[in-house]
Amino acid sequence: MHREDDKKLNLRRENSIKKIGLIVNPIAGMGGSVGLKGTDGEIYKKALRLGAKAVTPRRTKEFLSYIKKRKDISLVIAPDKMGETYVRKFDIAFKLIGQAPKETSAEDTKRITEEMLNDGIELLVFVGGDGTARDVYDAVDSKIPVVAVPSGVKIFSSVFAVSARAAAEMVDAFIEGTDLSEEEVLDIDENAFRNNRLASKLYGYLMVPNVKKFLQAGKEASSIDKSSVDNKNEIARYIVKHMDKEALYLLGPGTTLKAITNDMRLPKTLLGVDAIYDNRLVGIDLNEKGILKLLKKYKSKKIMVTPIGGNGFIFGRGSKQFTPKVIQVVGRENIIIVGTYGKISKLECLRVDTGNFEIDKLLSGYIRVVVGEKEEMVMEVRC
Amino acid sequence: MLNEIKLNMNEMPYPPPKEVIEAAQKGLSNLNRYTNPKELELLREFLADYSGISKRHIISSAGSDFLLREIIHVFSRGRKVIMVNPSFFPTVQCTKEFVTKLVKIQLSPLEFNLDVDIITNETSEPSLVIVDNPNNPTGKILINREMVEAILENKNVLLVVDEAYYEFSGATFADLVEKYPNLSVVRTLDKAFGLAGARIGYLIAGENFLDEFSTFFTFLPQSSLYAAIEAMRDPSYIKKNIELTIKERERVSKELEKIGFQVCPSTTNFLLIKTNIPDVAKELKDRKILIFDLSSQWLPGYFRVSIGTPKENNIFLSNIIEILKAHSWKGHKP
Repeated sequence: MHREDDKKLNLRRENSIKKIGLIVNPIAGMGGSVGLKGTDGEIYKKALRLGAKAVTPRRTKEFLSYIKKRKDISLVIAPDKMGETYVRKFDIAFKLIGQAPKETSAEDTKRITEEMLNDGIELLVFVGGDGTARDVYDAVDSKIPVVAVPSGVKIFSSVFAVSARAAAEMVDAFIEGTDLSEEEVLDIDENAFRNNRLASKLYGYLMVPNVKKFLQAGKEASSIDKSSVDNKNEIARYIVKHMDKEALYLLGPGTTLKAITNDMRLPKTLLGVDAIYDNRLVGIDLNEKGILKLLKKYKSKKIMVTPIGGNGFIFGRGSKQFTPKVIQVVGRENIIIVGTYGKISKLECLRVDTGNFEIDKLLSGYIRVVVGEKEEMVMEVRC
Repeated sequence: MLNEIKLNMNEMPYPPPKEVIEAAQKGLSNLNRYTNPKELELLREFLADYSGISKRHIISSAGSDFLLREIIHVFSRGRKVIMVNPSFFPTVQCTKEFVTKLVKIQLSPLEFNLDVDIITNETSEPSLVIVDNPNNPTGKILINREMVEAILENKNVLLVVDEAYYEFSGATFADLVEKYPNLSVVRTLDKAFGLAGARIGYLIAGENFLDEFSTFFTFLPQSSLYAAIEAMRDPSYIKKNIELTIKERERVSKELEKIGFQVCPSTTNFLLIKTNIPDVAKELKDRKILIFDLSSQWLPGYFRVSIGTPKENNIFLSNIIEILKAHSWKGHKP
């Protein structure tokens, strides 16, 4: 082989090597064993006093054991217990980045993630819980995809893989060039959670490799999954086609709703409530006052929402702007629920917690959810 | 042959009697010939007798999923299709391909009950309703006679009940087919008869279905046909296998509950279980035990386990306990 050919081959190899960042939140999950449900803020110190043991080392090592043989990745690692300590146990080449203090915090996660982004990582793997996902979201937003290894006490965000092994499979899929999907990052109120109440709100979306579960072969192996992006676009086309031009549409947060406005070539706030009338945007990032003002102006009105993945809340979590008063004025019969089949079929039920028991009761019972152009699911709404 | 324990396909773990196997072997000696229509008629007569219904209502086919596919293909035209979710996956897959309007009713834990009012409220327009009863994968009886009759009173509705696990549940609406032309029942010899490899399904079709199926004719494979005829000649052998399977089902269910698993009461030859241990199906697969992971299709943490022989069930249980122990350090509870 000629030297030029060698050079080309090496260049091709370098190009096919993916630069992947790994960051670990060393204190995530420590509250679990001592019954503290989380380690946000000062609770971490309490967990330590109660003798809490670190959970992330095992999860991180488990993840690394699945990817250690890959020759087509180049790891960029956070120092000490934020990554380096575990990687050193394996025969994996890596590059260190950033500095980690003895006691790490959310700020360290954000700062080192930003440094990794500046270094040109193409995928970030993080080990932690919902709190870590929030910190990663603050730094990453939609710049690159992530793979989230679950290790926190409370894992509610759909961005997480089901296990360290599944996370490794997501890395495989990323390297093989799978498409990406946006998954939710939830903001969980730890104080409420400690009182056995799930108070969560939508914090943002992170992109993850879109991985179909590896199904067992045979008669029951199904190919019903379609990419969530295609599914959202299909729902959007269906909704737009059947929109009543005489009605005011209040669109809640979420990427499925954003797909609808994308189809109409209109802007949409991802986490806010926007209003559409006759193919025009008539309200953006509305609060209750703004919504009620619009409701007075239009005779026919509809609310369109998508449930939060995992827990199925349609009102009272992700879209606080839809207050009991707003819901009452619009009426249950004018609520349109949309969601991808992948998200909806994984929900036990839909949930509401508006803070007004009468409204919650009104919303309870069975309701239709548009999951595709020709498909609806009938789901139970529980309060 | 792979040395795996197959608890993922709801098969009968016991083979049929030697007479049935010998009949199948006899069929193999005629492989150069199509099946004799007279022998197909004989099978129909046996199936009619077994089902307690006249022969004209019986349509046999190579597998009940093939019949369901044909029904969806023919009868979903101009009709809304209503199903429960989850349901028999080949049916679900087929509706995705052919149906122009599909409404699925999500069965919610813990009870997985079906509210029949949802179906009656949905059927103001011509509809094809498909219900697997008992339901796969919950193993639960979803509809009773009263509910079925309430649905069938609406002449706009065609109702198909998949009774693949009838022999385990004892629940059937086959006797209503002559009264209600808009009812059909689908059954199979795959499960209780231990003939999954032969792939014989049959439809007990109401009058409205018979019209469309008048030209439907399938040759069955020689060996499958011979095995099915022999099995139907004396179907008493299934009784012992069913009793043993049910006894084992209850034992496995109790054992799983004892170690903290959530188990759905079943009327079939399988159990729906819930666990918080991630990847339990993959871990069992690593140990050459196959169970069916439902999390990619339905709710996370749910798995379907077929009932095997006592020995197979013991191996499954001991491995589950080992996996459980291995995961306890990870903070996972069953």
